[in-house]
Amino acid sequence: MVLAVFLLIRLVPGDVVTQLIGLEGQISPRRVEELRRLFGIDRPLHVQFGEYMTGLARGNLGRSLRTGQPVGRELSRRFPVTIQLAFMGLLVALAIGVPVGVVAALHRGRAADVLATGFVLLGLSVPSFWLAILLILLFALRLGWLPPTGYVSPAESLSANLAHMVLPALSLGLILAAASTRIVRSSLLEVFGRHYIRTARAKGVAERGVVLHHALRNALIPVVTVIGLQFGTLLGGTVIIEQIFALPGIGRYALEGINLRDYPVVQGAVLAIALAFTLVNLAVDLCYGVLDPRIRYS
Amino acid sequence: MRKILLALALGLALALALGAGVAPLGPAAAQAPGPRYGGTLRIGMQTDPVGLDPHLSTATASKNMLEHIYDTLVFVSPEGRFIPGLAESWTTSADGLTWTFRLRRNVKFHNGRALVADDVVYSINRIRNPATRSPWAGNYAEVDTLTAPDPYTVVFRLKKPFAPLLAKLGSSVLQGAIVAREVAERDEMQSSPVGTGPFRFVGYTPQQRMTLVRSGDYWETDATGRRLPYLDRIEFIFLPDAVARATAIRTGTVDFIEYVPSSEVRALRADPNVSVVGGPSANFRSIYINNAVAPFNNVRVRQAMAWAVNRKEIVDTALFGVGGIEATGFVIPPGNYYHVSKVVYDKTDVDRAKRLLSEAGHPNGFEAELYVTSTYDFLRTPAELLQAQLARAGIRLRIRAADWSVYLPTVAAKQYALTILGTSGQVDPDDYLYSNFVTGDRRNFVNFSDAQYDKLVNDGQVITNEAQRRRIYDQAQLRALELVPMVLLFHSTTFEAVRRNVFGFEHQMNQSYLTLRRTWMVPR
Repeated sequence: MVLAVFLLIRLVPGDVVTQLIGLEGQISPRRVEELRRLFGIDRPLHVQFGEYMTGLARGNLGRSLRTGQPVGRELSRRFPVTIQLAFMGLLVALAIGVPVGVVAALHRGRAADVLATGFVLLGLSVPSFWLAILLILLFALRLGWLPPTGYVSPAESLSANLAHMVLPALSLGLILAAASTRIVRSSLLEVFGRHYIRTARAKGVAERGVVLHHALRNALIPVVTVIGLQFGTLLGGTVIIEQIFALPGIGRYALEGINLRDYPVVQGAVLAIALAFTLVNLAVDLCYGVLDPRIRYS
Repeated sequence: MRKILLALALGLALALALGAGVAPLGPAAAQAPGPRYGGTLRIGMQTDPVGLDPHLSTATASKNMLEHIYDTLVFVSPEGRFIPGLAESWTTSADGLTWTFRLRRNVKFHNGRALVADDVVYSINRIRNPATRSPWAGNYAEVDTLTAPDPYTVVFRLKKPFAPLLAKLGSSVLQGAIVAREVAERDEMQSSPVGTGPFRFVGYTPQQRMTLVRSGDYWETDATGRRLPYLDRIEFIFLPDAVARATAIRTGTVDFIEYVPSSEVRALRADPNVSVVGGPSANFRSIYINNAVAPFNNVRVRQAMAWAVNRKEIVDTALFGVGGIEATGFVIPPGNYYHVSKVVYDKTDVDRAKRLLSEAGHPNGFEAELYVTSTYDFLRTPAELLQAQLARAGIRLRIRAADWSVYLPTVAAKQYALTILGTSGQVDPDDYLYSNFVTGDRRNFVNFSDAQYDKLVNDGQVITNEAQRRRIYDQAQLRALELVPMVLLFHSTTFEAVRRNVFGFEHQMNQSYLTLRRTWMVPR
């Protein structure tokens, strides 16, 4: 993975020096070569890769070519922002997706189901950046309830932090909410057809108990799996959302790194995102055990 | 049923979007009695600075923040003339080789130390010193020695007369910031910049904000003798998304935004709480013609193109009517002191273009490739219009687009026939007219070569008298308009927006926010 990212970012035309010179190009070719040497990007790729891997093995992610700041320190500063955004997005997705999915499954084929299906269709087809702009126009400009963009750290003011995170989390979460609505609905419908549900109903368990304890719990296993996989999409989405809402997270850091061809920054950011994705899917695997006591890890 | 719901939902979303475009009613802008002190101006910036050491950065974003912390020896007026800055006055010897600058006596750095001539010598030498790795070192290639005969006098000895020296010293804080020697020597330029400017650096959190506060010691005063600046504090907040930035000023989350996108200008103008300032910037956008490649080595072909294009259509269609103004002269935009005195290509004249092409031996026109970059919209969107416009005269264009990082080296290597390009950020007429057109220069992407033109722009570098320089550069531009090394299309505009309780800010052509030192606010 590290090698793939290392090579891919170098395949992109241009390098940190061409980006530094920019539109004006007022710098002589000799100076360009000097700068390439200074940035160490004139050396053979295997030398650069070897050096990077040696650093990585020692937990050193290198320094940004453009600002000279250590990438590791910048990432640890930004990681909480992205994780907060991703988890709030996930919360939105579950808070909407599960109840709507349950209602749709219970009222299969009726108006509520059609509405829910409409929501799914709309949610899956709306691009998050467009949704983000609409949410800004509605909640910040029209209603004036929430700040349109910007970031306040929770240490500074928790309420201001949450106010700034609501719209980004909504933009990110609504799309995932649509996806989870669909999976909750179809998985519940499948479970409703099982014998143990008929048995539960036959022995007189209240419908509420049937749905919540017997059906939903069993239906949640595929939901959790899909959400684990969707978390990757969520992390990918943070790149755009952080840019629109000016959140100082890893996604924006990566994007800036890509624009400036700041190789260590891009490599570090992708590594951090991959790590988060792996951890979440580990958590998903552990969740199976909680949801289904038959699943045990030894 | 599903279809109806979908249509309803889309309709709702659309109504929401359109409804949001209608400006809320607000109080009419209060008439401010006059400048008042105090207030925090929150500025929505497009990007972070790229480093805080002015001598090491080429980024406009760095300039726009650092120019409030640092001063330069000379300043540039809105119409592009040089006015006193840290230097109260200056003289040039008769041979043009010795420039003597007299410094102000009441200037202090933010650390409390008084500015002396030695700081000026140190700063300029810091840029010149190869060990500093400043991209601006070449600006001072003509400087032989720099000395400080007394604490308030700086003498530049040049290797040859070089009139653009003032432009190099004053056009931006990146190229000529006077820094405090002890700070640079402690290697603190990137972490805690110390200058003599109107605002003092307080702190910077990347991708969030940079804070500056009023320096109580600043030397400049307003017309009534009151000390500048008026504002207590400036907060630069980094909001990369253009629509979010425009919304932030409409909701009052910030008081000022830069780079209002063309598509948002109308909505902001309609908002009673916001005023949009802006207009042409120091730049030009043209069809670059490779003058060395047939059939473009024939001047008549180039003239035909200049008559065939419809600049108004390009501005109105490709730039939403607000993204640029038609180029009526040569590369120096209108409003600049050195703008050319005559309009040559005053209308679109397809018949004349056809006639010129016939005379050039192409009665049936010809085919050519227009190479463009897909990276910058304003350089890409005119392509199809030009294709249609030139087709009317018989020049059939094929369009080929490439990413900037592939495109620019290709054009710089002059491996193209036609392209849409331009440069920006110029201050001195020399910046516009020398390297871009003088015979054999590396930056002469159009391969233009004309002995008469070369002589004029070389004279312009030597002559320091402003009126004489203006005459020479006028002749040079008229000569270029006749020979058409490139077909001028438009000058890009930039817009800033301010809340109506903010006064005194003026848009400057060189994309500088220097007038923030004269900006004041009334409480809302």
